[in-house]
Amino acid sequence: MDINVAKQGNANKNTLFTIDLNRKCSLFLSLKIGDWMLDVELVRKDFPFLKQGRIYLDSTATSLTPEPVLNKMLEYYREYRANVGRGIYKASQIATEEFEKARNEVSRLINAKPEEMVLLRNTSEGINLVASGIKLKKGDKIVTTTLEHHSDFIVWQRASKRSGAALKVVGADSEGFMNLADFEKAIDDSTKIVAVSQVSNVLGVKPPVKEIAKIAHEHGALVLIDGAQSVPHSKVDVKAIGCDFLAFSGHKMCGPTGAGGLYMRELLLEEVEPLCIGGGTIEDVGLDYYRLKKGAAKFEAGTPAIAEVIGMGAAASYLMKLGMLEIESHEQKLTKRVVKGLEEIPNLTLYGPKEPAKRAGIFSFNVGRLHPHDLAMTLDVTAGVMVRSGHHCALPVIKEVIKAPNGTVRASVYIYNNNQDIDTFLATLEEISRTMA
Amino acid sequence: MINIKSFYDNYLNFPKTDCGYCGCTSCVALLRRHYAGEASLSDCIYFEARGYCKEDFVSPKHFTNTKTEPSVSYVSPCPSDAERVTVEVNLASDLHSKYGYFDMISAEKLFGQSLPEMKIAPSLGLARLESDGEAVMGFAEGRILIRRALNENDAFWQLSRFIRWLWGAVN
Repeated sequence: MDINVAKQGNANKNTLFTIDLNRKCSLFLSLKIGDWMLDVELVRKDFPFLKQGRIYLDSTATSLTPEPVLNKMLEYYREYRANVGRGIYKASQIATEEFEKARNEVSRLINAKPEEMVLLRNTSEGINLVASGIKLKKGDKIVTTTLEHHSDFIVWQRASKRSGAALKVVGADSEGFMNLADFEKAIDDSTKIVAVSQVSNVLGVKPPVKEIAKIAHEHGALVLIDGAQSVPHSKVDVKAIGCDFLAFSGHKMCGPTGAGGLYMRELLLEEVEPLCIGGGTIEDVGLDYYRLKKGAAKFEAGTPAIAEVIGMGAAASYLMKLGMLEIESHEQKLTKRVVKGLEEIPNLTLYGPKEPAKRAGIFSFNVGRLHPHDLAMTLDVTAGVMVRSGHHCALPVIKEVIKAPNGTVRASVYIYNNNQDIDTFLATLEEISRTMA
Repeated sequence: MINIKSFYDNYLNFPKTDCGYCGCTSCVALLRRHYAGEASLSDCIYFEARGYCKEDFVSPKHFTNTKTEPSVSYVSPCPSDAERVTVEVNLASDLHSKYGYFDMISAEKLFGQSLPEMKIAPSLGLARLESDGEAVMGFAEGRILIRRALNENDAFWQLSRFIRWLWGAVN
């Protein structure tokens, strides 16, 4: 292994280390303290979807799947296709082992214990489980925000309606920033749960979840974090945030669709009621009684999405191998490039924080009076750029925060996007703005 | 990277005298025949004299000569308003069809800014007509998308208006 150390010299923390790991793991890392880098061209080779020159800028909706994950899932179907936790034969044991290995990997990604990780379908299922399982009642209070995705918003609206608990929605300013003082006002001793997303899926703004969790815990409230947009893109540590629940989806982090996770603080595993019960969740059953298992197993009724969970485990390993800090830094660089480029395009309105450092790699915008669907369609047809348009499953943000009745066009970046993707996207957008707006 | 400007920029720099020495009625007609393989750019008396480079006149991506059968691809509820419909229609399209890339150039040349509801962008290979929140988008490949139409009848009325306007510019 060659290690080249080059001193930059002008600032004490800016010493540049270039470590050539090519021979060992085919990854070239150039490390600078606080500025990690990943080799995007090597990463791109893992994604078969990109081979036809497509420009995929919709990773916020769902991410692409790399070869190692695809292979791991196929391996299950080809080599040890059996149910988990049931059979005594070897294939079933291998399947169970791989399934549990996936649980370990996924827990490691967010610094949780494997016992605290409930494996489900997606973020929405995780949030629904919590909403129905924490025994809300009249006199309780639920606190959430206008920035939430429908999966973290209507779930609480329904829970409030069903249980009679009050629902308080904390607002945001036009850039999507929220005031901690508003949370201090909204959260009181009657608050049962505070549900907030770590990254807004429309504006890319990152609410101060750690501080919010602290305020909530001072009042004895539970804290649920919607990690759908944060877990795939940054280093998330449930212990550091101090949250009680964190839900996320595998399909947004290079995994397959149909597998997701819900972190649940160990002490709560007993207390929270499962959404579904059935096979796999019981300890003992008689004609007039049943006893549920302890721990995460009591929430996982029926045969799980075995291949998908194993795939999600492989995706977690894949991301950790690349390094979450590297991924974050790569996206931050692309973010700077996109924000700078978008600001130069005439007639374009970019929503969310103006400062690139304060946002994740999610960009919502509109060009002149052009309808978002038309703009998205034009980007696809003329340059093969895939972006999302509409209300992004977050109508409260569209209606209350940015007030764009037709919605927005949303582009988002991930590990496999390079500068060239961004430049084509920006050049096409400029041409559209010049000729069509 | 797709150079979306190259062809159209070259066209803009073309003499555009419509002199007729090449045997075609207009410069656009010569370019159309050049792409169809029926005429050479050398037929243009200005082409070499002005130092144009033939390699610059390569087909843009949206100008590939693909033939599509005329059809209604789908009629479905609008993604953001279930009360309205989205309709996609394919026109028979090839180099000799009446609606395509060169028609957009002709239409833009004739209309310019005089028809504010109709935006024509030959460099992108698309035209767009918007009125009362309804929009029709036509792509050079022959695909036409009618969005947020009140119902099927309205969609076909929008379609016919769009085509009449665009064809009116080139026929």
